[in-house]
Amino acid sequence: MPLPEKLAPGKLFNRCDPGQFGFETTAELDGTTEIAGQSRALDAIKFGMGIRHDGFNLFALGPSGTGKQSAVLHYLGGLAPGSPCPDDWCYVYNFEKPRHPRALRLPPGRACELVRDMEHLVEALFSVMPAAFSSEEYQSREKEINESFQEQQGTAIEELEEEARKHDIALIRTPGGFAFAPVRKGEVIKSDDFMRLKQEERDRIEAEMGRLKDALQSIMAQIPKWQRESVEKIKELNRDVAGFTLKPLVAELKAKYETLPEVVRYIDAIENDIIGNFDQFLEKEASPQELFMSGGPSKHGAKGRFFIRYRVNVMIDNGRTKGAPVVLEDKPASQNLIGDIEHTSQMGTLVTDFTLIKPGALHRANGGYLVLDARRLLLEPFAWEALKKAIRTRQIRIESLAQLYSLVSTISLEPEPIPLQVKVILLGERVLYYLLSTYDPDFTELFKIAADFEDEMERSPDNHLAYARMIGSMTVRGKLRPFDRGAVARVIEQGSRMAGDSTKLTTHLQGICDLVHEADYHASEAGRDRVTADDVQAVLDAQLHRAARIQERIREAMLRDTILIDTASERTGQINGLAVYSLGERSFGRPNRITARIRMGKGEVVDIEREVEMGGPIHSKGVLILSGFLGARYAPERPLSLSATLVFEQSYSGVEGDSASSAELYALLSAISGVPIRQWFAVTGSVNQYGEVQAIGGVNEKVEGFFDLCRERGLDGRHGVLIPASNVDNLMLRSEVVRAVEEGQFSIWPVSHIDQGIELLTGMPAGEQAPDGSWPQGTINAMIVERLDVMAKRQKEFGSEHDDEDKKG
Amino acid sequence: MPGLEGVMSSGVIRSIAVAIDCSPHSRASLEAAAEMAGRLQAELVGIFVEDINLLRIAGIPFAEEIRSYSSTTGKLDEGQLERLLRLQAREAQDLLQRTADTKTLRHTFRVLRGIVPEEVMAAASQADILVLGRSGRSPSCRKGLGSTARSALYEGDRTVLLMRPGFTATKGPLLVLYDGSGGSKRALQTALDIAGPESTIHLIVLDHDPEEVERCREDAQSLIGPAGIAAEYHHLPISAGKQLARYIKMIDTGLLVLSDRMGLPGQELRELVDDIDYPVLVVR
Repeated sequence: MPLPEKLAPGKLFNRCDPGQFGFETTAELDGTTEIAGQSRALDAIKFGMGIRHDGFNLFALGPSGTGKQSAVLHYLGGLAPGSPCPDDWCYVYNFEKPRHPRALRLPPGRACELVRDMEHLVEALFSVMPAAFSSEEYQSREKEINESFQEQQGTAIEELEEEARKHDIALIRTPGGFAFAPVRKGEVIKSDDFMRLKQEERDRIEAEMGRLKDALQSIMAQIPKWQRESVEKIKELNRDVAGFTLKPLVAELKAKYETLPEVVRYIDAIENDIIGNFDQFLEKEASPQELFMSGGPSKHGAKGRFFIRYRVNVMIDNGRTKGAPVVLEDKPASQNLIGDIEHTSQMGTLVTDFTLIKPGALHRANGGYLVLDARRLLLEPFAWEALKKAIRTRQIRIESLAQLYSLVSTISLEPEPIPLQVKVILLGERVLYYLLSTYDPDFTELFKIAADFEDEMERSPDNHLAYARMIGSMTVRGKLRPFDRGAVARVIEQGSRMAGDSTKLTTHLQGICDLVHEADYHASEAGRDRVTADDVQAVLDAQLHRAARIQERIREAMLRDTILIDTASERTGQINGLAVYSLGERSFGRPNRITARIRMGKGEVVDIEREVEMGGPIHSKGVLILSGFLGARYAPERPLSLSATLVFEQSYSGVEGDSASSAELYALLSAISGVPIRQWFAVTGSVNQYGEVQAIGGVNEKVEGFFDLCRERGLDGRHGVLIPASNVDNLMLRSEVVRAVEEGQFSIWPVSHIDQGIELLTGMPAGEQAPDGSWPQGTINAMIVERLDVMAKRQKEFGSEHDDEDKKG
Repeated sequence: MPGLEGVMSSGVIRSIAVAIDCSPHSRASLEAAAEMAGRLQAELVGIFVEDINLLRIAGIPFAEEIRSYSSTTGKLDEGQLERLLRLQAREAQDLLQRTADTKTLRHTFRVLRGIVPEEVMAAASQADILVLGRSGRSPSCRKGLGSTARSALYEGDRTVLLMRPGFTATKGPLLVLYDGSGGSKRALQTALDIAGPESTIHLIVLDHDPEEVERCREDAQSLIGPAGIAAEYHHLPISAGKQLARYIKMIDTGLLVLSDRMGLPGQELRELVDDIDYPVLVVR
């Protein structure tokens, strides 16, 4: 198998040529930005927003910072202004069922008009009602009705009095009522005198008084009826007067809203209510404006509360909205989504009314688009269920959570639900989308469209320009200095490094945005009016430096041989593996010594990491693959008579991943063959059962980790790293590394098979296997086979000696 | 001579009798009497009459009370009636006491037993003015005058003020009927005596002859001027009761002051007092 050539410097870093740009600085760009590299997601958004059907809501998924929100808002920014403007909504008093406030729909801008009209109506009533009821005509008619009742009562009693007088009997008022008594000369007869009367006379008086008493009783029985009639007449009069006074005001209102039957019905209800409660407008406690607007019980008592019923609570005023609304709710708590019913304290008791109904984001977005962050939504108690319910039932039903869960026990309202037509766009990470799809049966029903945002995009001249425009728009938005084309090119290169691929660019725009801001700051500190590549590079260096504390401590320990890493000699069964450590958003690579020891055994490879439960399952899998490789390659038809132990030296935390499996295999092969490994190399790459070296992640960090250590110790031209050939495209190495390679001080070898790697590491050829399974003499593979043969024989001998002893015994 | 007028007027009314039965009319009477007493430094004499007729009913074997709140009947018990009357008397006294105390008036209270109009008239014979309600507790609640007021108006010889609720005696405007006769001069003088500083006197001059009218005005002005009270003059060339009553209602002031010893015939004067629904001060 031919040995690979070490990589040329050009392969280590995909440079972006500033000369490809037609601009000097980003100030020449127009500042607008288009979302690049997200055509799949944009198509999904376009489709989701275009289809007007239930359940076609959108979930924009992708890692945070990939510009989901910008993309969605950008698209809606173009779409919404051309869509029809939704209606206004308000809540008004329900005169039939006060606990169920009515929802009124009005054309855009007319809800506030209705508010003003109602204010004016009430204000006008405070002057016209007292005027009507204090008019002479009304007063005299009222007096006449009262007097007619008094007269009716008086006449009936007077007639009876007259009747009694004819029989010398007087009607006298007693403390509790009336009494008849015989009189003589205007005085009641004394009892003695009465007893002196003849029996017939007494009987006559008694009979007469009995008759009169009956007559009076029947009059008194009628008095309540007369009184009722009189009250009824006064009520009728009041209704007539109030109705007549109100009519022109109401007629004017009705004419104004005649095209809105719902509003006309509401005005009818108000008319009836005012006629029934005209007296409220007669006594003035405060200015009508205050009474109407404040509604504050503390200030104006029960009367102030009464006038609340004529108010209009505008939930949504689209008077100044252009097109469909786009609402981004940053705190999607349940009450912020579907609205809330607030309470006010009155004498220590919580009370509420329809004016305390508060709209939510769904109200504001009704007829348009609502954009929510999925994670925040799911973190808010009950919010997810509330949102689903609203979308499913296509109406917004405001329910007080406190009431729903009996946390407060006080008067509450059940406002009439408002019909909902909204497109909901959730923004979230992929894991949320997949979790919801799996566990929430409603989710796929309600969010049928997924806009999957890419993590990265192709590196092409078009996308380079798109990146430049994006940087330009960031500088415009952030009022930053313009970037010259060198700086843009450097940002693009960093975009590739962030993507971990020299042929791609990251779409993690947040990271790019941060870099742009930092570079601008650096330029300002340097007193430049534009940002250059040096500023970008300085910021990147500073970022590395800021995050390098642990990395440097580890390297220092290696330099002091506290952590043993050999980069100079040759050792049998020992190799420098490479590991990546992630701390927050930053990651760095470092070499790790891996050793292998063998002895006679039954063919097992013991992974010490796994034995002590410090190795993860993928790592264990990698080690088991080694056994497969060894057995199949070197001992397909006889027992593998060795026992090997593998360990990550000086590792005090867990090991996971299979990127060290090729290194482990090399160590093992060295240990079996007894051929030392060159310690000035480090190795990364996983391996399969056929010895093919496979791609790994974090190749840049790993190479740089080993490079940094070697540089500290002094590069001598031998140092290098073996990487899987399939990782070459991922290389976007730091300029120091590239420079060292250019100077021949450092090398990177793309390896595709174990045989290539072992040859590079030992300097001994691997050889080609003959069809009979043998290896050419003088190759490392032949040495391995020989050693295994020897071990197999010894084991056999040992086995037979043991058997003999058993027989003797 | 205002000084002399002042001395003279304060000498005219020294004692004001007021009949109290705790009805709304009698409360108004007490208020009016207290106002006048306060202004004139006069003594207030409260009179409560226990109606003998009521007590006698209890003695009639089959007489029964018909209760106004339930229309049921029950036997009247003398002991219970006595208690109730005592209670009313005490209430009346308390009322007088409270009213007098707020104005620091000299006052006495008398409880009498007998036929109400007679007893009131007798008790008031020592007083300069008798104040009572236009109607009392008569069964029919009729509009016109009550029996006591009627007696005081028809049979009495004292100056009598017939009050009704909703008016004050001296604080508002006063309407005086004037025809230049001695009686009407006394009426005007009494009105001036009791009028408060903010009051206005509306003087209705009753005469057909324009010259007489002018003379009456001059006479009246000579009385009013020194008192320093604002006056408005009205001329009414008629004297028929009904028309006069309408005119008085039209002017719509408060207390009506007249004399039964002026040109107006006695019958018409009574009809007028009976007809109008204002408090009336009949000066004698």
